[in-house]
Amino acid sequence: MIRLAWRNVWRNRRRSLITVSSLAFGLAAIMFGQSLIKTLQTKLIEKATGSITGHLQVQHRSIKDYKLPDRYLDAPARVEAAMAADPRVAVFGKRVHITGLVSSPVSSVGVLICAVEPSKERRITTMTGHMTTGRYLSDGSREIVLGEKLAQRLDLRLGEKAVVMALAADGSMGAGAFRLAGTYRTGSTTFDGNIIYIPLPAAQELLAVEDRVNEIVAKLHDVRQVDAVKRELAQVLGGERDLQVLSWKDIDHEIVGIQSYQDGLLTIVLIVVFLIVALGILNTLLMSLFERIREFGVLMAIGARPAWVMRLVLMEAALLGLLGSGFGLALGAAIIAAFGRWGLTLSLGDAVSYFMPFPSVVFLKPAWPSHIGAAVCIMAVSLLAALIPSLRAGKLRPAEALRHV
Amino acid sequence: MSEAPLIELRNVGKVYDGGSKTAAVSELSLEFRSGEFSAIAGPSGSGKTTLLNIIGTIDRPTHGEVRYAGRRVSHLGREEAADFRLRSLGFVFQSNNLIPVLTALENVEYPLILQEVPKEERRRRSLSALAWVGLEAFASRRPDHLSGGQQQRVAVARAIVHRPMVVLADEPTANLDSKTAASLLDVMEALNRDHGVTFIFSSHDSAVLDRARRTVRIRDGRLAP
Repeated sequence: MIRLAWRNVWRNRRRSLITVSSLAFGLAAIMFGQSLIKTLQTKLIEKATGSITGHLQVQHRSIKDYKLPDRYLDAPARVEAAMAADPRVAVFGKRVHITGLVSSPVSSVGVLICAVEPSKERRITTMTGHMTTGRYLSDGSREIVLGEKLAQRLDLRLGEKAVVMALAADGSMGAGAFRLAGTYRTGSTTFDGNIIYIPLPAAQELLAVEDRVNEIVAKLHDVRQVDAVKRELAQVLGGERDLQVLSWKDIDHEIVGIQSYQDGLLTIVLIVVFLIVALGILNTLLMSLFERIREFGVLMAIGARPAWVMRLVLMEAALLGLLGSGFGLALGAAIIAAFGRWGLTLSLGDAVSYFMPFPSVVFLKPAWPSHIGAAVCIMAVSLLAALIPSLRAGKLRPAEALRHV
Repeated sequence: MSEAPLIELRNVGKVYDGGSKTAAVSELSLEFRSGEFSAIAGPSGSGKTTLLNIIGTIDRPTHGEVRYAGRRVSHLGREEAADFRLRSLGFVFQSNNLIPVLTALENVEYPLILQEVPKEERRRRSLSALAWVGLEAFASRRPDHLSGGQQQRVAVARAIVHRPMVVLADEPTANLDSKTAASLLDVMEALNRDHGVTFIFSSHDSAVLDRARRTVRIRDGRLAP
């Protein structure tokens, strides 16, 4: 049967080639879309968690705006102990985030003050990789690191002092001088123009909060374990009623929204492509069926059962689907490999980088489980589309089919 | 020829209902015996093809019955009828008998493939059938590389390869010139004479009918005197 089905497929070479090509191009387009979306999503998560959010944070329970925690944790030591005990946590560090003012002799700018433990922060975020002049903060110093753009606005040069001011816990206005250790450029308007980094102990002194912090951030060895670690850490810290454990998905929920939106769009594109594929296969098989009605009559007359004829039509569809999927996988892999090597320029990168560091050129990576799933769906759609012509072939009556010219 | 009939038709009729009712075959009773070389004769539209289709279980009679060696086959289900044809009958049609994408040998093999005969035996029997019709040398050719007469002979080889009870041929020479038609009838006659293959064929050509040892004449779906 396979031999007959194979030869039947190539009976009308041009029509079969067009059908196989449409299957292959459809699958390649799906693969490109899957790869692009997955690469963008991975990049978004990498950049969001690597720029500032980290994988997990512990904040005060009363905080609603997770990006700007304005309440302090009273006993961070227990959180630190719980994180240190979990082998899935690669590194963790304490932070204070507060809005304030940075001034130079020529200008003052409102900023988000990010007070960090420098040696730990180097491993939590990728900010050190964006340094353009000087160096990152060192522990125990009274140094400041800020964006190139902000340094230009303040007319600050390496080694010069800036004054940082913020509302202290006791209601007074805390102020302190910090020497510029380095500047960075991320490409993000927000990061380069509105965020400054200072060491945590100096900030705690400035804000009169003793050893209190308003968030403890952790980076995991594997971000895919974030939900499990969050759940277990919350259980361990269950006795601490003033704490909440948050994953990057809670904090950067807009990225989760973007992911859902992209997945929804991709699903719509997939459905459209599958419909086109189904119509192509249906058209090919119906035309082939009408051309061969007498031949089916001959086959049935010499003893082919209706079920056998139906299987023959399904086999032809399966072969078309298999060929289309095979060529589609090869073509899709080649396109993804090309964009993986030379990159794909996307204006989306500039739009996103307003909020966080994000490249304008993305290098695609294959998402093989999704690609294989799409190829299997193409096969399934081919077979489903073949059901109509297959049933029609099975219902043919030999005497009538033999009269067909 | 044996005494007991191989095929019995009792009061067979076929009415087509396409708005108005048309009787293609009416109240026909006939018998054929094993080893016959018989013709069904009649002008175009007389019901020859309908009668052969009913005998071949390709079509069902509206009334009456058809028996093979005493077994009633006229009301078999589609699957059972297909199995019966596969095991017991061979067919040769007027034209476009062969599957165009298969070689002569593969076409002849097809009934044996459907019977799931092992490949080696299938090949041996198919080559033997092709040899009987004088086309062993053309085994690897596809139908479009064979003449009309050769195609019909391949169809005869396919019809006999599984050793059926009877071969039913519906105007097998209609599209052939007289010389080629005579050659095809020579082959059929030889198979009947030398290998005992029972043939029932239809025709309206007197030159063909002259070769039959028995001729059943029908007109307007009824036996003609």
